[in-house]
Amino acid sequence: MLILAALSLLPGVGQAVYLRDKISWRSPIPPSEMVRVDQAREWGDSVIWIDARPDDQFARDHVPGAILLNEDRWNELLPQFLAVWSPGKKVVVYCSAQSCDLAREVAERLRKTTQPPMENVFVLEGGWEAWLKQKP
Amino acid sequence: MKTHILTFTLSFIFCLAARAELKWEQTSVELRPATGDKQAIGHFKYQNAGKTPIHFKSVHASCGCTAAQSQKDQVGPGEKGEVTATFNIGDRTGTQVKTVTVETDEAANQKTVLTLKAIIPQELEISPNFVFWKQGEKPAPKTIAVRAGKDFSVKHIKVTSSSPDFQTKVQETGEGQFKVDVQPNETSRLLASTLTIQSENSPKTFYATARITTAPTAPVGPGAPAIQKAPGAAPAAPTAPARPPAPTGQTR
Repeated sequence: MLILAALSLLPGVGQAVYLRDKISWRSPIPPSEMVRVDQAREWGDSVIWIDARPDDQFARDHVPGAILLNEDRWNELLPQFLAVWSPGKKVVVYCSAQSCDLAREVAERLRKTTQPPMENVFVLEGGWEAWLKQKP
Repeated sequence: MKTHILTFTLSFIFCLAARAELKWEQTSVELRPATGDKQAIGHFKYQNAGKTPIHFKSVHASCGCTAAQSQKDQVGPGEKGEVTATFNIGDRTGTQVKTVTVETDEAANQKTVLTLKAIIPQELEISPNFVFWKQGEKPAPKTIAVRAGKDFSVKHIKVTSSSPDFQTKVQETGEGQFKVDVQPNETSRLLASTLTIQSENSPKTFYATARITTAPTAPVGPGAPAIQKAPGAAPAAPTAPARPPAPTGQTR
């Protein structure tokens, strides 16, 4: 029985070794750095919404009051964010969906903007798609 | 019973022999774009090593910054082709890893993840990019560290402030390393400045921002000057212009 159990593990181990270069080792976002749409809404005016998607998607539609800040034009767009940020403000970054990386990348870069790292920077769970589903 | 086993085994072997099989030359590409390059393009070559045609069901990138495309929708037996992934560098820095997921109608291994790694050269590393003082805080200098990136030689940098309300002082602290002290004249008013940082021999401009912010959780003052905002942007506060006109900086 044990031999059978051990044998059943072999394909999995083999695949893991064979496909080691294809596996994404990117660390997931810690839950403490994520926020749900309803939670973020409760924060009201103390939130700065950041839209990390490309310009054209932002132009089509975005969270009301959101500021465009993506890495395509980071240097140009960052001053707009810094102009409204102040210590104590919460920052919620979103991109198109749960699967996109842009919000995580923008959030990480924002944290590194200050020394010590900027606090209260969150990634919106489910992104723009989740916002649309829970649109008031 | 033996006949059943034999039939099953033969069918299995036949299916293996007849199946379509997309063989990738490589599923991971590392690119080192030059300074100033706008895009990095990865080519992922493949061949249908099977005996039946393969159809691409979808090719999509993990990031809006990357456009992925296959040359054709169908790959016949023995045919070769490639999927290209065009990564728009924009203002990104450092090592960027983007993936492209290719879905085919192959019986096995329907999804393949292609990885594009771009190592973007960074001429100057600036940390932090943003220094701020709370309104009413002592206007003591704050330091921005600037260092030449790997494979770059920088002997001098020039720092200019867009606003005369902030003074800057550059000091060399080591080979290719500098310390920029930034000091506001006062902190009683909400002020902002864009600091333009340039190295000699390079047309590329780097930016940092200095600002007097409101105290924590305090609302932005109603008399604060308006800023140029993205459509629907958040409430106004003083801003640092994106491209400063009048330099008051210092060269070191």
